[in-house]
Amino acid sequence: MAKRILITDDALFMRVTLKNILSSNGYEVVGEAENGAQAVKMYSELKPDLVTMDITMPEMDGLEALKQIRAADANAKVVMCTAMGQKNMVVEAIQSGAKDFIVKPFQPDRVLEAVGKLLAA
Amino acid sequence: MKVEYVTPFVNASASVIQTLIGISPERGKLSARPQMFTSQQVNIVCGITGEIEGQVIYGMSMMTAKNMASKMLGGQEVKEFDQLAASAIAELGNMISGGSSNQLFQSGFKTDITPPTIVKGPNISMTNFDIPTLVIPLNVAGVGEFEIAVSLRQRKVVAA
Repeated sequence: MAKRILITDDALFMRVTLKNILSSNGYEVVGEAENGAQAVKMYSELKPDLVTMDITMPEMDGLEALKQIRAADANAKVVMCTAMGQKNMVVEAIQSGAKDFIVKPFQPDRVLEAVGKLLAA
Repeated sequence: MKVEYVTPFVNASASVIQTLIGISPERGKLSARPQMFTSQQVNIVCGITGEIEGQVIYGMSMMTAKNMASKMLGGQEVKEFDQLAASAIAELGNMISGGSSNQLFQSGFKTDITPPTIVKGPNISMTNFDIPTLVIPLNVAGVGEFEIAVSLRQRKVVAA
């Protein structure tokens, strides 16, 4: 069965791009959240195998959403996918339980490598 | 306004555009404006907060915006500047601002960025901090002219 992924990004363009990359490589995109608050809610409803998480978003940012998702499910696999690649952000995300940190703009292979490694059975 | 605040935006725009669409932009001559003003048709407004604060506007013609969005969408034709095209252009601004913020961090300035806003229509002036604006024109071959207007200042420390 295809692994199920929840995409989180406020930019439609980014959601479309990520969905294309993932769907064309055998993953099922089960949901698309537009901000951190939606991602937290959708995570508990959909129980995806993995979440991609932007950081700079309205309503609730990705770092807060990451913390809430990890608090609800200590095994949650969250990959940050953001334009903010500063060291302090990366450190905070990893310390908060993010499994990988992808800086935009990215090549499709970078996403597939991160997701593939985390979802390998 | 210090030129050192502009350099990260020049570098980040070059590397982001190169990674996204495989074209290296050509940089034009830096100029100054007394205030934040844009005469471009499509403008992406990004706020910068933190130890350096202000605004950056990425401005371009509608034709350039459509060409850029088309390239970002893998060559798909963009006839109307619809929601997806606008989102691609906004994300371009977000990625350049993010990359610049990373470079500012390496120079010792901790900053954050706000989600981008697209403002359409020429002759927009913005009143923010009375900081002069530095403008960098870029020419992206096969896409069009693109300008980055940077208006930033170091945050004043307010005594307790």
